[in-house]
Amino acid sequence: MYPLFEIPIVGGPILIAAIATFHIIPSHVATGAFWISYFIERKALRENRPELLEFLKKLSLSILIFCFVTGSLTGVGIWFAATVLSPRAISGLIHTYVWGWAAEWVFFVIEIVAIYVYYYSFDKISPKVHLRIGLIYAVAAWFSMVIITGILGFMMTPGGWLETGGFFSGFFNQTYWPQLFFRTSMMFAIAGCYAALVASTLRNGGRDTVRRIAGRWGLVGLMASGVFAAWYYLALPANALENLASIGYVAIMLKLAIVAAVLLGGYFFLLASGRGWFVNAWIGTAMMVLLFAGIIGGESVREFIRRPYLIPGYMYSNQIIGHEMAAKEIASEAERFNRQGLLPNYPFIPEQLATVSEENFLAAGEVLVKVECLACHTLAKGGRNALPDILDGLDAESAVYLLDDLSRSYMPPFVGNATEQRAAAAYLASIAGGELPSARWVVKGDE
Amino acid sequence: MDTNLMIQTLQDPMGVPFYPMVFQGLSILTFALHIFFVNLVLGGALIAAWGYFSSDQRWQKLSRMLAKVTTINISIAIVLGVAPLLFVQVIYDPFWYTSNLLSAWWTMLFLAALITGALAMYVFYLKRKTGKQRAGGFGLLAVACILFAALIIHFLSMQALHPEQWLGWYVSGLKMNTAGWGLNSLQISRLLHFLVPALLNTGIFLMLYAWYFKPREDLDQAYLAWAAKLGLSLARYAVIATTLIGIWWLIGLPAEFHFMTDHSLIAGYVLAILLIALLFKAQQDPSGYAPSAAVLSLVTLVVMSVSRESLRLSYLKPFGYSIYDYPTTVDWGSTSLFLATFVLGIAVVAYLLTIAFKAGRGEYMQELKASTEP
Repeated sequence: MYPLFEIPIVGGPILIAAIATFHIIPSHVATGAFWISYFIERKALRENRPELLEFLKKLSLSILIFCFVTGSLTGVGIWFAATVLSPRAISGLIHTYVWGWAAEWVFFVIEIVAIYVYYYSFDKISPKVHLRIGLIYAVAAWFSMVIITGILGFMMTPGGWLETGGFFSGFFNQTYWPQLFFRTSMMFAIAGCYAALVASTLRNGGRDTVRRIAGRWGLVGLMASGVFAAWYYLALPANALENLASIGYVAIMLKLAIVAAVLLGGYFFLLASGRGWFVNAWIGTAMMVLLFAGIIGGESVREFIRRPYLIPGYMYSNQIIGHEMAAKEIASEAERFNRQGLLPNYPFIPEQLATVSEENFLAAGEVLVKVECLACHTLAKGGRNALPDILDGLDAESAVYLLDDLSRSYMPPFVGNATEQRAAAAYLASIAGGELPSARWVVKGDE
Repeated sequence: MDTNLMIQTLQDPMGVPFYPMVFQGLSILTFALHIFFVNLVLGGALIAAWGYFSSDQRWQKLSRMLAKVTTINISIAIVLGVAPLLFVQVIYDPFWYTSNLLSAWWTMLFLAALITGALAMYVFYLKRKTGKQRAGGFGLLAVACILFAALIIHFLSMQALHPEQWLGWYVSGLKMNTAGWGLNSLQISRLLHFLVPALLNTGIFLMLYAWYFKPREDLDQAYLAWAAKLGLSLARYAVIATTLIGIWWLIGLPAEFHFMTDHSLIAGYVLAILLIALLFKAQQDPSGYAPSAAVLSLVTLVVMSVSRESLRLSYLKPFGYSIYDYPTTVDWGSTSLFLATFVLGIAVVAYLLTIAFKAGRGEYMQELKASTEP
């Protein structure tokens, strides 16, 4: 287990969440926009409409900057953020899916070469070849989605992987197909919203045509994604369904996503039916912001309902391996730490804290609480999901009972031997303003 | 806990899905390609910024071209960086993750710097599409961001080589330093040895620029010849400086590594001498020698990448860590998936690059003119 990185007040999850939800926009624009653009380019050639080619130049330049700078770097950003917040989880995923990511990378390389050649070869090569390059880009981009969705879905439903440890039995899991169809539909909605924004900056006749097309693709994409969202819901595992039903925050986020979707649907309808004349750059941008709010809602639901796991049936949200995995001969850490204690098995602590004593129990308790709770909580009053606020005034003895019972909710169980549990409880009481126990009780228990 | 045991417990219990040596080989190769483009980005940004402030029209023109090209090279450098980043996490996960965690906020700032630098380069390029237009600050910002990124990555790489110091960097008394602002272990000679070749490879790039556009009679060949000569001059100075800095780095290494006689480094000595000789000979015909200079420089870079890995093995040997001990369960399914995709990728990219190569040389212009004429 690795050193800890603590983000006070806002907490670690916000870092990944912010980067990852932002990333959805440039990534889905990158995968969706070139299908729309291919359609428009064909139309431009068939009907001899050079003003539509002007739109395509603007669109591809904006995608170059938006998707290939902020998109690619926030994609890598998710990876870096996961590295510093959940290194064991990202390590576990990489050690299983490295070839999947390597294959996805090949498609990224094709995308990058294709879009630069596409953008810089307008008017320099035959229109037919230019069109083909746009199509190559669109196909390659979609294939990168085909691959990453397998790994994303695995984090919700690991499929047969828990029994076999095999790449494909984990990749082709029950939420894979619904999520792939969902994201494929959503990419048209996201790309449509983006195309409408770019179109609103045009000064020529192409603007009205593009708006209509963007509206149509956006509307169909959005409606299809609704259908596939329902399929996705039906494929969710029991713990996710329970979380969906019982966690207040999840209900709010889901409502946000649905409201945003309905409003966007209205917007696309207006555009598609030729009533989008009033959409200028400001409104186009506002709709992108609305879209982003909806994405925050949807992705938050997906991430939240996975609890208490990062890899269900294997690794808890706090990176502790909670279950045996026979296929790879991996023993449960929870079982071992409950027997031997967590602290003697954790290298990144002051040496004196390897065993709880009457002198060090608060410091030892702090380590345990940080290791097992920082994945979702903060430790100072007023912070996000702050333990002092949640536990308000709780005393150490009550905290021990609390720690006995964590997995009744959507949290991982407390892991550690009895003495460590009392030390953690003592630390929790100290930050909650509750009654502290005697050092003797922490080390010896109720004798 | 003893350091050797610590490293063992950090290793991922999942093991690896293919022979570790293959991941090692791939990480060496892709790292070399990544660094080549990083060299072009840094060198391009530096020369473009310098040229912006010159009153010489040729420097202005060069600056505009390099600003544009650097935006492309940034994207390529980023995507090529993904591969070695992936492979280092497969076989050297204990070292890479620990290092990142000690400097967590810096890794985030690294990304922020790259985004800022890339956007600044786009502004630097687009603002000047028609004449000089108060864009100098963006050029300088881009350079600063790239250098900052280089510094962070240097610290991350160095920290990963010193597991014996991790606990000391992280723990003091009964406290753990979880703030993530650590920056430990700087080695200036090593950092410079990565930075200075930017001018070597960008110099060669300018020679290639002239070579590529030679068939275009509509372009200013005198300007291109000047660019090639400038590039060669930069490359010559840079290759000598890089060699001297490399010797400085070598002398500073722990004696017990016996690294001066490392096999890959011996190959490196030979290649460095050949490259220096070639770059001096190239003065007769800078653009003509461009392809051979590029190939030789790339080969040298790959060999240097091997040496870098060899040096890592020297650093990690005392800790009993070997990638060959990584539990391996060969997964032919996913390995085949990657191989098939890779072959497809090469074919498609080759097709696209061929079109780009020909288009830039104007080889499609006749055909286009003919098709648009009545």
